[in-house]
Amino acid sequence: MQPTEKKKRTILVVGGGVAGMSAAFDLADSGHRVHLVESGHDLGGQVAKLDKFYPTDHCAFCPLWTEIRRCKEHSCISVHTNSRVETLEKSNGSYRAVITKSTPVIDPDLCIYCGRCESACPKGVARPIWEHAYPPVYLIDGDRCGDCRTCADVCPTKAIGFDREELQAEVAVDEVIWSAGFTEVSLAPLKEYGWGTHPDILTSLEFESWKAESGENKGAILRRSNKAIPRSIAFIQCAGARDLRLLPQCSAVCCMHALKQAQWVKRRNPDIHCVILYTDLRTVGRDYYEYALRDFGGNGVRLVRGRPSLIYPLPGGDGIAVKFEDTATQKREIWKFDMVVLNGNLKPTLSSLPGDNARPELDAEGFVNRTATSCGFVMEPADVTESAIQASSAALRSILADKS
Amino acid sequence: MSVDRGNVKILVFACRWCGLIGADGAGRKRIELPASYRVIPVDCAGYVEPDAVIRAFASGATGVAVLGCHVGGCRFNDANHPALKRLELLKTLLDTTGIGGNRLLLGFGTAHESHQYADMILEFHRAMESMPSMASWLPQGQ
Amino acid sequence: MSKISLFLCNCFGEIGRVIDLEFIRKKFEADPDVDSVTIVDSLCMPDDAAKAQVLTRERRIGKVLIGACSPYGKMEFVRLGLAKEGAAVRAVDLREGCAWIHGKDPEGATRKAANQIDMELALLQNRKDSKDLTLRVQQEVLVIGAGPAGLSAACGLARLGFRTHLVDRGSAPGGLLNVVKKVYPTDEPGPGKIKNLVDETGENPLIRFYGKTKISSVKGYAGDFKVKLTGPEGNTALRVGAVVLATGARILFPQGLYGYGKIKNVITQMEIERRFATGALNCKTAVFIQCVGARNAERPYCSTICCPLSLKNAMRVMDENPGARAYVLHRDIMTPGSVLEAYYRKAMQRGVQFIRFDAERPPEVRGQEQVSGVEVFDSISGVSRVIDSDLLVLSTPFVADPESAAIARMFEIPVDKYGFYEEVYPIHPVETRNDGIFICGTSRWPVSSDQAIAQGEAAAIKAASFLGKETVSALAMSRVPGGKLGHAAADAAACTGCGNCVAVCPYKACRLQRTGNRSVSRVIKVRCKACGNCVAVCPNGAMQMPEQNYRVTGEMIRRAFREVR
Repeated sequence: MQPTEKKKRTILVVGGGVAGMSAAFDLADSGHRVHLVESGHDLGGQVAKLDKFYPTDHCAFCPLWTEIRRCKEHSCISVHTNSRVETLEKSNGSYRAVITKSTPVIDPDLCIYCGRCESACPKGVARPIWEHAYPPVYLIDGDRCGDCRTCADVCPTKAIGFDREELQAEVAVDEVIWSAGFTEVSLAPLKEYGWGTHPDILTSLEFESWKAESGENKGAILRRSNKAIPRSIAFIQCAGARDLRLLPQCSAVCCMHALKQAQWVKRRNPDIHCVILYTDLRTVGRDYYEYALRDFGGNGVRLVRGRPSLIYPLPGGDGIAVKFEDTATQKREIWKFDMVVLNGNLKPTLSSLPGDNARPELDAEGFVNRTATSCGFVMEPADVTESAIQASSAALRSILADKS
Repeated sequence: MSVDRGNVKILVFACRWCGLIGADGAGRKRIELPASYRVIPVDCAGYVEPDAVIRAFASGATGVAVLGCHVGGCRFNDANHPALKRLELLKTLLDTTGIGGNRLLLGFGTAHESHQYADMILEFHRAMESMPSMASWLPQGQ
Repeated sequence: MSKISLFLCNCFGEIGRVIDLEFIRKKFEADPDVDSVTIVDSLCMPDDAAKAQVLTRERRIGKVLIGACSPYGKMEFVRLGLAKEGAAVRAVDLREGCAWIHGKDPEGATRKAANQIDMELALLQNRKDSKDLTLRVQQEVLVIGAGPAGLSAACGLARLGFRTHLVDRGSAPGGLLNVVKKVYPTDEPGPGKIKNLVDETGENPLIRFYGKTKISSVKGYAGDFKVKLTGPEGNTALRVGAVVLATGARILFPQGLYGYGKIKNVITQMEIERRFATGALNCKTAVFIQCVGARNAERPYCSTICCPLSLKNAMRVMDENPGARAYVLHRDIMTPGSVLEAYYRKAMQRGVQFIRFDAERPPEVRGQEQVSGVEVFDSISGVSRVIDSDLLVLSTPFVADPESAAIARMFEIPVDKYGFYEEVYPIHPVETRNDGIFICGTSRWPVSSDQAIAQGEAAAIKAASFLGKETVSALAMSRVPGGKLGHAAADAAACTGCGNCVAVCPYKACRLQRTGNRSVSRVIKVRCKACGNCVAVCPNGAMQMPEQNYRVTGEMIRRAFREVR
């Protein structure tokens, strides 16, 4: 094996979440050039938008904010937000990638966050980006925009442009690292979960932003249907996952995620009765089992082993029924809850990208086939720590990959 | 003997992370707060020494706030741990000397969201409005 | 004393409509510390930003103060841009922190703006620059432990061109994988899995392997660690830029549990591995019990590998003994992810039987001299049953290697309550509080060999990027955006050697040094992260941070509520 791989390479990292940023930074810190492509408005991915993080129970954006800034400030990293990799062609051991950027209506480079567009908009479609984006900018919700263009007139920096064309940049890269993370998959096909039939049946990510400290309810735990305080919340594990009809995989992060959400509900309102309905309580990871142990005493969250067969809104509108077998007692139960949170419906992003996106070979479950270099959820369902490790590992492999 | 309502002076030592992010958020949302406080940003609440707090009182501050990250969430590992302990001790000292421990507000990880910061500052301002004047403590001519 | 140039941003009126900028301008133009005051409409926009940069460059302004929006917004980029022109640049938040939050009180906001600007001027006039240290990073690396993690790290580093010293207390590389005949989920042989890596340690001229060697002493800090090794050939002194700890873990012996040690054919996973290695394992019914000595009060953690390990061995028992049965008695099957969940499905389809028990009611072993069966309360069906079996395999967890604690002490990194090395939470899993020391593999936390290999690669690239810099400024060694504020420094004449700073520093950056008949505090610049605790606990102000020294803080406090006219 020939040592001394000292020539600097150019690597394309697709996806700017925890995994992508870790890989990008490791590469740049070693002197290699990186094109970091992110489809969203800013780096940070899914984790930056979480209310809290396990197992530290602190905010998620703060540690990520450091990474985001380091990536933006590093001279070896070109950050392409609002962008996608449209085509990727391999030739003679390297790649030509076409990165297409769709600058949003409000150009983030020119937006000074003054908010005049928001005041001027008659339909209220100009709104600030999520709370912990730095620097903050305004966004226009294209679907609801009435095209009156009043905002463009009041913007002091002429940041608003409605007829933008996509910009394309062609770059030559030596390797590609796929780090596009996960997205939610709709639970509508699995009718027994009742998702979509009642505002108080929501997915865990919907619940996360609903209960967020920085969100519209300022951290208060309220029902989505009438903003009243719920008396009880059920967290249903493996919703859509470990299910051959939809997602055969175990999504790995949901057991801890439910424990975190339930514990935070109890912290903010100890009177709310929380139950987690699980199959296997997967707490593999540093200090995770201890985190779960806080609930085993029966004083906190109640852990019940059973997979529901039916979740439905009760007639009369008050509450949601969850029908399941409690495997500890072998009894069939129907319990009433004010809210139901469904955990598990996460799939690797690359498996459902629209046609104008390059993608690598995927296996039957939608994960990146091992012929391509990848890290994070697109490779294998993984939490933040695992994703960061895989990202650094992917960075090393991309530098050392045989070019012949 | 209470402070002139319009003359509350609060000095805030805030760390650049959890300490000031809430302030930034509150500003972004145009939440209205009284202009009675001044901010000294620090890299870590661990930097704030009791001497500086006392100096602030000696310079005419009605109240002093120290804002840092949650214990366990400090960017410098556990640097805010000793800071919190030392400042809690200072509170006791302020009580013992009659200055009043409630003139020192400690917010470690409790003001990182905009509404938390706003509520905290407003409440502190109101509390300071009804505190007795510090005149008897200050050097002549102040 | 050089003067300061003040740039005030109107932010298209966002600041100007609340704060009386003309008043501020007049006030500070008269200030003896101020050279000039310029009001622009938008400091972050290309025209005005360029104007400010040109002014700074041409007039060789050494000190700049910006009054603009918040440091979490665009202002930070403006500040960095101006700092590139060689000036010391500070900024005051006049928008989010003043105009916007006191929008209904223009008089109060203007007074506050004046005070805050005044305070920053005091900082700029009284601040000093910390002494920096340029570190020449030793271009060699030490990897301790030659299991899958250490091998992976060493080979990664060597392939990147760094001379790597690979140390192991055993005689050959490989670690625990040497005794594993088949690794899950691919069933490849253990030694085969790492064969390339092991071969490389012999073939790559950049790797030197030291067998039967231990660490006797460690001195130094990131970039320059002086490590002494003791081995069969005597002592070796190394000077390395970084160290990777991959010292592994031990598997718990289930002494006293389930009749282990008393009843025959009650064995551990390592022992069944050995039986597979020596030939076909003959048994009719194998029972695997999970979580033996794990996820209990003594060891409240999951050891990651035991569930997939039992799936592998259960299937192997059935494959090698046609007609044999295998049972896995468990509390939860830990197979997260896509690959492992598929492996679980494979085991189910193969016919492995799964019985769930509760922690409060563990299975009981039957048999006097030899195991004859296992009684288990199946908590799913609520029925107790006895499984006749002739082999009982106990899944026990990884426990910290007894030598880990000593190694951690030598390298000055913390260990958690189980004895595993602590990392920097949450997104720097292979880095430690002591820069230059990296951790990977089971000595960090129980993981599979695949994960250990990935962690080794992660440690390799991180160590390599540090070494690759060749020289590093101590001020740049910071995880904080914008870099370190500075370095704490103790005035040797004033220091009384009390040791408060030594006790409080989270990075062990303060040391007491004897000079003559006294002790004086000395700060190791490479380790100092400028948190300020040492300054705060110093009883007489001998310890200071030059960039924010006592004069700065004192003046800022004095000016905070000065009357504004």
